[in-house]
Amino acid sequence: MDGYAVPVIAGRYDMMTFDPANLEPTDGRAKRGERSFSSQYLRILPGEEMHVDSQRALMAHLLRRAGFGATPAELDTYCGWGYDATVEWLLYPEAQPALDEDIIERYYIDWKESRNIEGALTETVYRMNCNASARPLQEKIALFWHGVFATGLAKVLHEKTMLNQVDLFRQQGLGNFEELLRRLARDPAMIFWLDNNFNHKNAINENWGRELLELFSMGVGMDGHANYTEDDVQEAARAFTGWTIDDDNVASIPYGKTPWLFRYDLEDHDAGLKTFLGETGNFDGDDIIEIICRQPSTARFVSRHLYNFFVADDVQVPAWQTTPPADPAAIAALEAEYFRSGYDIRSMLRLMFTSDFFKSESARFARVKSPAEVVVGTLHLVGDFKLPKVGFMATALECRYMNQDLLNPPSVEGWHTGKEWIDSGSMVERINFVADNLGDANHPGVRTMVDALLDRHPDATGIVDDCLELLGSVVLREDNRNALVAQAEQALDAGADTEEVILNALRMIGSTREYQFA
Amino acid sequence: MTTVVEHPASVAGLYQYHDVIGLLSAGGPGFSGPVSLALGPDGLLHVASRANPNQPEAVRVTRCTVQGDYVGEFCGWGDAPGQFIWVTAIAFGPDGNLYLADENTHRISTFTAEGEFLGHWGEFGSDFGQMNRPSGMAFAPDGTLVIADSWNHRIQRFTMDGSPLHAWGAHGKGSGQFDMPWGVAVDPDGAVYVSDWRNDRVQKFEADGRLLAEFDGGSAGDGFSRPNGLAVHGDHIYVCDWWNDRVQVLDADGQVIDTLIGHSGTSKWARTFLDANPDIEEKLNNATQNIELKRRFYRPTAVTVSDNGLVFVADCYRHRVQIYRKL
Repeated sequence: MDGYAVPVIAGRYDMMTFDPANLEPTDGRAKRGERSFSSQYLRILPGEEMHVDSQRALMAHLLRRAGFGATPAELDTYCGWGYDATVEWLLYPEAQPALDEDIIERYYIDWKESRNIEGALTETVYRMNCNASARPLQEKIALFWHGVFATGLAKVLHEKTMLNQVDLFRQQGLGNFEELLRRLARDPAMIFWLDNNFNHKNAINENWGRELLELFSMGVGMDGHANYTEDDVQEAARAFTGWTIDDDNVASIPYGKTPWLFRYDLEDHDAGLKTFLGETGNFDGDDIIEIICRQPSTARFVSRHLYNFFVADDVQVPAWQTTPPADPAAIAALEAEYFRSGYDIRSMLRLMFTSDFFKSESARFARVKSPAEVVVGTLHLVGDFKLPKVGFMATALECRYMNQDLLNPPSVEGWHTGKEWIDSGSMVERINFVADNLGDANHPGVRTMVDALLDRHPDATGIVDDCLELLGSVVLREDNRNALVAQAEQALDAGADTEEVILNALRMIGSTREYQFA
Repeated sequence: MTTVVEHPASVAGLYQYHDVIGLLSAGGPGFSGPVSLALGPDGLLHVASRANPNQPEAVRVTRCTVQGDYVGEFCGWGDAPGQFIWVTAIAFGPDGNLYLADENTHRISTFTAEGEFLGHWGEFGSDFGQMNRPSGMAFAPDGTLVIADSWNHRIQRFTMDGSPLHAWGAHGKGSGQFDMPWGVAVDPDGAVYVSDWRNDRVQKFEADGRLLAEFDGGSAGDGFSRPNGLAVHGDHIYVCDWWNDRVQVLDADGQVIDTLIGHSGTSKWARTFLDANPDIEEKLNNATQNIELKRRFYRPTAVTVSDNGLVFVADCYRHRVQIYRKL
């Protein structure tokens, strides 16, 4: 804990009545209501020159990366706690009450089973949206590991098993990396995905053994050299023989699906001597993972992935063997923390979120938002679907339309990130989705923002600048900002309704290039 | 071509597994997330399928015999007259018509037993007579309709044509209060039983709303967990103990006297399907670790009892109706 108090939600979490103003740190350093949305917001007086609150902007940056953004009210709360306390709050999501599974299950029948890919996708995105307030980093780290350990329903065809894997990432994603790999190696979805159920004592299937090394822990190489040999792949595969699953039935009919279960088949396990990365012994799978986690290449691989996801876009994974990190000092610091902490992801993230390389101005808006960040971040901001209602599947599918088909990655390599998220089709989807939602005053979050602005009777400049602030201290290029101000001015001069001008400003900001960056 | 013929007993031996009707399907013989059931004046079993949110075509009311012979269905996902979206309860009125609660449109639709649409009433709101997610429904001996007005945390009584007569309850944990009530049953004396869902209890009221008793469904730590469907038959009260995946049978004093856990075999409809898909049956037979699991209830959601003592349980996540016989 390093001396920080972990804020907790006062009282019982209840999604029917949840209000971010009820978030409180345990040490009482911020009091509820001390910086309410209105009081914080009204510090910007009509006619006063807009300025970016540096603490608020930094907090918005943190929440865009460690979560799915924050509402103005949530930012008020976090600013009251202070940066370091908020980082600690984020790092311990399990200290916060869990979702009201009963309510969701009551209204979304089949929530627990999700008999088709769209149902599973709905479950995943809905959970991210609902947890975006109370457990944002738990969802974000699950999304992160889902991208690294990319497993897909195109092959697995058992939705609940896939959802269980994502849940493993929620439960263990911030914990010890070695334990995460141990549990991943026993995960029925992964075993099926990479054919370890066909990895037999007398006929090995090396698929899992290879990807464990290449894509899940060490990477092919670094600093221009290879990290392992083909022999290492074969020996790793031998160590995982007999790690299989039971009941790999995928039929829903007649009575729905039943769980897949991990099974260790001693009779099918190769218990002979193996030589792996220069060490020799009667290794089983856990031994292989233990050796892997001791490798500098694993520290490098995990660090680069964390940096790419949370700090700034890096080159794609296949290029890591020959392309050095963009910020070698940052990666070196993360590698050192990996070993110092005993492979603890939470410790690495603490170092990252409190580092200068994360807080720096150059790191702000340095990553292209993933489709999940666009969709969930927007939903969270506008406050839609926080309680079950009809129509969520169409919204969840937006991720797919924007090129991120969650639970169904394009390959075991996962999604390519950064500018590869963007093409003409996905860009249109992104802009339309964001603009449609930010411009809809029926959404409670939009209504709150609009009402706050109307109370201030802002001029055109105030409308644009305050909308930028409310959307998370978004910074536009000067010419873009000026164009929006001119447009708002023209509309106001023409007698347009102020609310419509505000809504249009929100739409237009959501349509900018800058809004596509986290 | 064998149907399971064994008839295992309930936990306390007061009931015996009798039969199963069901199959996961989006139309025709089968159900998709059955959430409510009712026996019609024609003796047919009517089963309302809620379906998962991305399969609106599977939302329907299926009609079949109690022996599992498919008769027909009526359906139509939507909010136009005669359509429904989030069906949550069905009940037959003394007029012989079927009343259907839709907690998305916040209204009650009426159909003939054969499914001909007759009309609807009800509107969203929290004023007297308005509803916010109507859930369980039951007719009282006087022909009035008692509805769990779930998100208003109250019980409302209506005439059959929708005129509000009475409302009671408020949000809370105290006696007589509710937290998202779901199931409703009325006994021959007019007493109203309510599954007070998020308070994990069943409350019994006089017809005028005065509290008579509270039942927690068991000893400490083993009581109800999110109870929903309810039925009263003779001196027994049947409670779908939803999150515990069981049906608790209570005596008139609220003491648990038996527990149904589910013993499903292979239904007629499932048999037909498996005979045509032997590869799937082979897979199922090889799934040895899950044999018991597949027989048990998985989120039992509604229960009704026939005059001859057959207990029908909507086994929601297994897309079937399990039937027990009172011994």
